[in-house]
Amino acid sequence: MSIEVRSVSKTFNQFKALDHVSLKVETGELVSLLGPSGCGKTTLLRVIAGMEAADDISGPILFDGRDVSTEGVGKRRIGFVFQHYALFKHMSVFENVAFGLRAKPWRQRPGEAEIRAKVGELLQLVQLQNMAQRYPSQLSGGQRQRVALARALAVEPRVLLLDEPFGALDATVRRELRRWLRKLHSKIHVTTILVTHDQEEALEVSDRVAVMNEGRIEQFASPETIYENPANPFVFKFLGSYNLFHARKTNGGDAMAASPSDSNGVTFVRPHDIEIRRENFDGYGIAAKISHIAFAGSLVNVELARIDNEAVVDAALPAHAYKDLGLKPEDKVFIRLHNTRSFDDDYSI
Amino acid sequence: MSGAPAKSLVSGASGKPAPPNRPLVRRVLIATTVAFLTLFIVIPVVNVFAQAFSKGIDAYVSVFQAPSQPKDAQLSLVERRKLTAARGQAEKTWSSIRLTIGIAAVVVPLNIVFGLAAAWSVTKFRFGGRSLLIALIDLPFSVSPVIAGLIFVLLLGRNGVFGDWATHVTWPDPFSLHWRGFAEDWWPLEFTQSYTGIIFTPFAIVLASIFVTFPFVARSLISLMETQGSDEEVAALSLGASGWRTFWKITLPNVKWALLYGVILSTARAFGEFGAVSVVSGHIDSNDTMPLRIEKLWNEYNNQAAFSVASLLALLAVVTLIVQLIVERQTGKDEMRHTEGEGIP
Repeated sequence: MSIEVRSVSKTFNQFKALDHVSLKVETGELVSLLGPSGCGKTTLLRVIAGMEAADDISGPILFDGRDVSTEGVGKRRIGFVFQHYALFKHMSVFENVAFGLRAKPWRQRPGEAEIRAKVGELLQLVQLQNMAQRYPSQLSGGQRQRVALARALAVEPRVLLLDEPFGALDATVRRELRRWLRKLHSKIHVTTILVTHDQEEALEVSDRVAVMNEGRIEQFASPETIYENPANPFVFKFLGSYNLFHARKTNGGDAMAASPSDSNGVTFVRPHDIEIRRENFDGYGIAAKISHIAFAGSLVNVELARIDNEAVVDAALPAHAYKDLGLKPEDKVFIRLHNTRSFDDDYSI
Repeated sequence: MSGAPAKSLVSGASGKPAPPNRPLVRRVLIATTVAFLTLFIVIPVVNVFAQAFSKGIDAYVSVFQAPSQPKDAQLSLVERRKLTAARGQAEKTWSSIRLTIGIAAVVVPLNIVFGLAAAWSVTKFRFGGRSLLIALIDLPFSVSPVIAGLIFVLLLGRNGVFGDWATHVTWPDPFSLHWRGFAEDWWPLEFTQSYTGIIFTPFAIVLASIFVTFPFVARSLISLMETQGSDEEVAALSLGASGWRTFWKITLPNVKWALLYGVILSTARAFGEFGAVSVVSGHIDSNDTMPLRIEKLWNEYNNQAAFSVASLLALLAVVTLIVQLIVERQTGKDEMRHTEGEGIP
């Protein structure tokens, strides 16, 4: 089912959580709302779910073209998964998943055997078939979140809304569950909106990503486009670490960074797009001195200071390249920038 | 849960340093607490029972059940008068016990309903004046019960704001409900007695008791519901459950121990309230609750009888204490169950 919000606003005590946001999610798509905390992503999700009423000036919320903005949360047939699971702690896993089925009006309520079959099927889907009689407190965080997902799927929702579902889990479990979610989505193909503040997560699982800031959507595009072609400095900055030069990119490309005087704009470059060599790049390189080296697993972070203006540059290179170059602090090297992005005005987060 | 944290406290072997061991400070604090509790709680309670039984078990029993007249005994006029007086006293004592229980039976269920509604509204919704409402819920704790009683007298008394209506309104005595049969009408029940007016009737006692006991249920629920948040309710609603079902299946099971705790506290207070009830009861014998009855017996220099009735209230306090202990243990268990699996990756 497709979901569309048109010019939705939400104000909490004069704080604009959502500022005329419009978004269209196609049927079967997995879309992430990505942004720093307080950017309005959770509010947008809750407005779509019907847990929060949008301001009166807002446009409609359309499910398959039909306005649902006046319908309550129970009527919209959504599956909602909370960051802190919100499992019913006094009920077993089985009863948690069965809750939505038992809560149906009695005409539509399935029989006990049917409920058993359905719950069994869902627990199989989330790989928890042996945990049916356990209580939420006896499960790990990752297992709890999968129960929450099964519970949400039990009512056959038209849309799945996930509010930072992996936010409370540790890094390894997060990565595992993320892949699992991607697989699950390709299996059941229900329209899904995922809220997250983790760029890696958004880029990895989504078909499209909406980057949000201060109640607005800054860019809504595929992960590749978002990463390769950020629409503005905010998106660039939010998607990873970066170096910032107060200078516009000139026709010379690489050379521009060497002349920071022309400062009517900013140029960004990712640390891993900085190439380090011992000898100069046909005169185009920038001379710099290594000030600090930090080993970070597969990558080595090298902090450099430019010799001409002492500006700090962060570079990241693969461990093997680092070994080949045999870099040490205080070494004099040359750097070259690849994939630089320039924007017109100085822009601050 | 493993025993690791407990072990580290004893041995200090793992990361956390053991708390500094100061035996003197510990002993002084414990001794002070025990001495204080003994002086102000244990001795008075023991004294109540000692006084109650000071004239023997027979005297204690006779407070509640006057000795029956021996059949063939020839009693003098004085003896017969004494016996009748004792019967009258025992009857009054029983009436006070019945009234006290009746009042609690009305007040506590109302408290449950009001307390749940109040706690629900201030914890699950955000609205203007919410903090004012929370402060208002606590108000009865900070107002002297005598003032609380006076408020109702000033509102509903002859010269009160609603005095005109309140002195003429007639309401049936719920304890006089009896079976009349189908002979006269299709409806088989009827009230045989009714009261006119509100102040100086049990109705006023109910009102005053509600005022002083209201915060107990609401407060014990608010603190718990605040920490629980409303995610579970919202989740239930999003799964299509009705508000009513959400309340019975999700909210109530989550707060049941806190609710019971509040109910115990408000029951104890409803039984024991003196000040507010004293003002609105009008010192009419039939309006006496147990505390008022105790006061009257005391004023009649009938100390042993006063302490005997008081011992019933003290017994009730002991029962309350035991139930409270059980409830606290249960909530502790529930919390354990809640936090247990947290550490599993």
